[in-house]
Amino acid sequence: MEKSIAQLQKFTYSILKLDENEWNDFACIWQPFSAKRKTLLTAAGETEKHLYFITEGVQRAFYLHDNDKEATLVFTYPFSFSGVADSFLTQQPSKYYFETLTTSTFLRTSFQQVNELMNEHRNIEKLILKATSFALAGVLERQIELQCFSAEEKFRTLLKRSPHVLQLIPHKYLASYLGIDATTFSKLLGTVRL
Amino acid sequence: MPTHQSNQLITKLQEQTETLLNKAIQEWQMIAPEKFSQQPAEASWSAKQCIAHLNMYGDYYLPAIEAAILKAKQHTAKKQFTSGWLGNYFTNMMQPGTNEKPTKKMKAMKNYISLNDEDSDKVIATFIDQQEKLLQLLEVATKINLSTTKVAISIARFIKLKLGDLLMFLIAHNYRHVLQAESALKASGVTVNENHIAEVSFAAR
Repeated sequence: MEKSIAQLQKFTYSILKLDENEWNDFACIWQPFSAKRKTLLTAAGETEKHLYFITEGVQRAFYLHDNDKEATLVFTYPFSFSGVADSFLTQQPSKYYFETLTTSTFLRTSFQQVNELMNEHRNIEKLILKATSFALAGVLERQIELQCFSAEEKFRTLLKRSPHVLQLIPHKYLASYLGIDATTFSKLLGTVRL
Repeated sequence: MPTHQSNQLITKLQEQTETLLNKAIQEWQMIAPEKFSQQPAEASWSAKQCIAHLNMYGDYYLPAIEAAILKAKQHTAKKQFTSGWLGNYFTNMMQPGTNEKPTKKMKAMKNYISLNDEDSDKVIATFIDQQEKLLQLLEVATKINLSTTKVAISIARFIKLKLGDLLMFLIAHNYRHVLQAESALKASGVTVNENHIAEVSFAAR
């Protein structure tokens, strides 16, 4: 737990440095939590109750279209925040599912606790705003990739940004994240395989 | 007949399934299809045939296990599980060999033999899907009675095994053919990370 809190502090300060009393209050609201592989943490229709800080494992958020086609929206790994961000911030029902892809450990806190601290400390509100802004920038950039890039460009961009995912995540989820079918993914993989 | 602590048994089966799944994700996904499909000798299976054979078992058993679990009463788990004689016999038959006593050779049933003609990536993807599903079923199995819940075996539907025995048999069978797949891969020059497969014993202590 101590080690995880130290990671949380390091990650938080990389977004915004807090004053000592702000950090002390912020550090108090987290509890350890763990989940086995393929555990559903938030289902579509539920409101996201938690903000997670990942200390181990890979997770994904996905949308289920017509109870059939899955669209993987995002993968998350240590050390960063996770959960269904929009549902958490708006406290409206989630359109997405959030699940673990490998055994995972987290720190997690509730909306109520984060909200209280945002009301109490201007800097914590700023921290959440900044973290959300970075996430928004990421989402918009991915939007460009999805609309403009060819399958091969999307594949190469993923490999450049996160080469480790090929041996960490089942390829069907990677193909779904890139919006390409499994056969195309296999062909592209053939060009980088040994 | 051997008796197990139910929760320890399920935890062990989950760990074994994790190990096999991690192999597929961390190693097999990156192996070139030609190597994955290469038969070490004319009459021996390629890694792909071994895994396709397991997938055929999964195609039958995973839905059968799921149906049995759905029908079973929740919160009926018993502290201990005792194997039936037939279930125990099947599981023992799957045991990997030792230096003194080599793995017993067996002939696969005709309908469960792959012709080495499927797409390698598809075979691996199906295996991954099935092991993910199996892990979820094992989790639900912690809440039900492993003895009174029964599943019919694939080759003779009138014979039913206790769920606990069936899970032990199925995962021992997976393990057996993953070992076989690994030797096929080694024969085709692929470096296999043997640390991933810890020594697994299915015998009761």
